Amino acid sequence: MSRTQAIARGLLWVAALAAVAVFGIRHHVFARDLGVWLAATCTLAIYSILYRENVVFRLFEHIFIGLAAGYSLYTVVTQVLQPKWFTPLFVEGKWYWIFASLMGTMFYSVYSKRWSWMNRLAAGVFMGLSAGLTIVGFVTGLAPQMMYSFKPLWQRTPPYLLFNSIVFFITVITVMSYFFFSFEQRHPVVKGSARLGRWLLMVAFGAIFGNTVMGRMSLLIDRLQFLLLQWLQVFGHR
Amino acid sequence: MERDWQFWSRRIIWLALAIATAVFLVVKIDTRMYVSKPARDIYDAIEAVPDNKIIVVTCNWEMGTRGENGPQTEALIRHCFRAGKRFAIFGWAFPPGPALGQQIAERLAPTYGRRYGRDWVNWGFNTGGSPMIRGWAKDIPGTIKQDIILHKPITSYPVMRGVKSARDVGLILDITPSDTLSTWVQFVYGFYRTPIGYACTGVMAPEAFPFYDAHQIVGVLKGLAGAAEYEQLMGYRGDALKRMPAQSSAHAVIIGLIVLGNVIYFRARRRGEAPGRRLSA
Repeated sequence: MSRTQAIARGLLWVAALAAVAVFGIRHHVFARDLGVWLAATCTLAIYSILYRENVVFRLFEHIFIGLAAGYSLYTVVTQVLQPKWFTPLFVEGKWYWIFASLMGTMFYSVYSKRWSWMNRLAAGVFMGLSAGLTIVGFVTGLAPQMMYSFKPLWQRTPPYLLFNSIVFFITVITVMSYFFFSFEQRHPVVKGSARLGRWLLMVAFGAIFGNTVMGRMSLLIDRLQFLLLQWLQVFGHR
Repeated sequence: MERDWQFWSRRIIWLALAIATAVFLVVKIDTRMYVSKPARDIYDAIEAVPDNKIIVVTCNWEMGTRGENGPQTEALIRHCFRAGKRFAIFGWAFPPGPALGQQIAERLAPTYGRRYGRDWVNWGFNTGGSPMIRGWAKDIPGTIKQDIILHKPITSYPVMRGVKSARDVGLILDITPSDTLSTWVQFVYGFYRTPIGYACTGVMAPEAFPFYDAHQIVGVLKGLAGAAEYEQLMGYRGDALKRMPAQSSAHAVIIGLIVLGNVIYFRARRRGEAPGRRLSA
């Protein structure tokens, strides 16, 4: 197909879609709100990838990336930098906030061969801070979880709770035995336990995948609900 | 022929999913949910927040997960309004989160006669991750400074009376598709024992249960299904409950396709047309 033919075909499609849109709006089939139309166009353009890779999808993909980057920058400037750094430093006269900008600027020295050592200094400070916080986080976050993984197996509890505890116990032991890599798993008990651990891991991955499918379907439903009920106004949903 | 079938088979599957979902969105079906304990626990935790404490609704989500986090946020904010609990909208993972939470709050506020500044406030988005949260827990007005709606110092709002640190927070509701929970648990619950409720996307739900099991969080809302359970508890039919028939229908189609795919695979394997391998440890 020649370039002229492709353009003519594209224009024909646009004209046909415009005619359907005008007819739909006039007869109250489609929403009259410009915002709804804009959102519907974006949704359909992004979903067009489901048929095949195309220029419309790529255009809207770039628009979304640009919008997201722009919005993030705007938010950081207006909600973080302006009230928490600019105002204290230049309006309230809290001079010590200059150190925050000095530390931040040091990161940009990476672009200069002569001054790049300053970037390492700033990065080192933040790495030390992160390492310290991670240790604190391990104690306050993971230690209680390890403690609660020791579940009583002989306490007087309802049968279903006892069953849960036994399944939990078997899972912890067998999965941990699967991750013994320091020696070869030759003994039949260790080998059998590791095999069961591997199967239990697969069950867990299956559960995670099931949840992922559920999540993705929820997102699809959200968009379909918008297209059907707000844009197309199917069966008088307005 | 083979390539044609490969091209069209995927598109047929997507079309089948779209049809199965769309039909149940248009046809109204009265859905009833079984309310799980983790969802009920969040409900009870909101009811138990004392009047002298504030609830922090953390909108750590953006438009990409509106399908799941949107109905969750709506259900939780609706509960706060209905129960007369004051709350603050906050976010530190995704910049648009607090603005999206504000939209929902402004839409629901007239129904319950609630007013900005008196019943809720928007702290906006904050950067800094774990160190910021550590500082926030010690000194909330010093970290947040001003709201994003009227740009006034947060201490000037009646809703902020007596709120100085994480000790004055009765409950943190973390609504997110991201791993923000561990930060809350490590740096807020770990030091101040502030209760945390977790409303996450379906993908993140399995990771939440070690925290729930260790009593580090009070409850979990799992994706859209969690929001539907909450709507059932609240006794109103919102977006989540309306979408559940479509969700179930989509799941049924997927299960059917998995079974069909396995039948085709094993028949091909029996005929020697598909490779097969036994799993070994």
